[in-house]
Amino acid sequence: MSAAEKLQNPLLDKRLINSFVDGVASTLQTMANTPVTFGKPFVEPKFAARGEIAGVVGMVSHDWKATLTLSFPKPAILSILENMLGEKFTDITDEVHDAVGELTNMIYGSAKGSLNDMGYNFEMAIPTVIKGQFIMLQHTKSATLVIPFKLTQQNAEFFIEISVS
Amino acid sequence: MFPPNTKFLVIDDFATMRKIIRKILTELGYTNVEEADDGANAWPLIQKAHEAGTPFQFVISDWNMPKMLGIDLLRTCKADPRFADLPFMLVTAESEQKQILEAAKAGVSDYVVKPFNAATLKQKLERVYAKTNNAAKAS
Repeated sequence: MSAAEKLQNPLLDKRLINSFVDGVASTLQTMANTPVTFGKPFVEPKFAARGEIAGVVGMVSHDWKATLTLSFPKPAILSILENMLGEKFTDITDEVHDAVGELTNMIYGSAKGSLNDMGYNFEMAIPTVIKGQFIMLQHTKSATLVIPFKLTQQNAEFFIEISVS
Repeated sequence: MFPPNTKFLVIDDFATMRKIIRKILTELGYTNVEEADDGANAWPLIQKAHEAGTPFQFVISDWNMPKMLGIDLLRTCKADPRFADLPFMLVTAESEQKQILEAAKAGVSDYVVKPFNAATLKQKLERVYAKTNNAAKAS
């Protein structure tokens, strides 16, 4: 890979989208037997919270600082966790909170592996989980790439949002 | 394969992953399973179990944890003659070649990349058993 390609803004690199789409699809299929489809990605001028709970992880490399947010409206995350853990959840409990952290960890880890093979060199990081009407002070003013996903077997959506500082 | 009474220690900062691994181990017939939420909390448990005469016989650890990384716990075990031969598996979202090499160099028994399913974990356990058994026969 050339230095010029390495310095491309991640939001303009379609391989970034592919890495996250593959990371989400393989994580949910393998861990939760849950197939997903993804919609057309779009860029918003500012970050906007979507959903009731989100896993957040800093994507830091030598050249880039970005924030990955995995945002789940309640129906989507409750359905995924029912498939993953074999238990029915009706609300956002501490267990759901923990599971969103682990899902974020796996999806970021999976995408990071592909991105680092391309030369991005994103570092390992531990996700945090936020719930309710959250405000992202660090990247509310940043352009945000949004990738919508839909659970194939039901009408429930969730989102990946990537903001580059 | 390891006998059903094998004593496992599962270490991950996310309770969800501990629960998933415990569930798979139970399905495989292993019910003697304890948990820790960080490498730093696991190390005293490993020592205490040994001192009490009921040592852990298999450690399954996450890599990326806040207080003590799984790879550092692995190195700590390998540096202590009491635990140098303790089978130690890393289960991690880190799939890059350099990390796999680092783990191999530190003496990991096997390496499972998340996401994984029950069949993968079973296969890796069988592989560690074969390695452990062969090493025991050779010595």
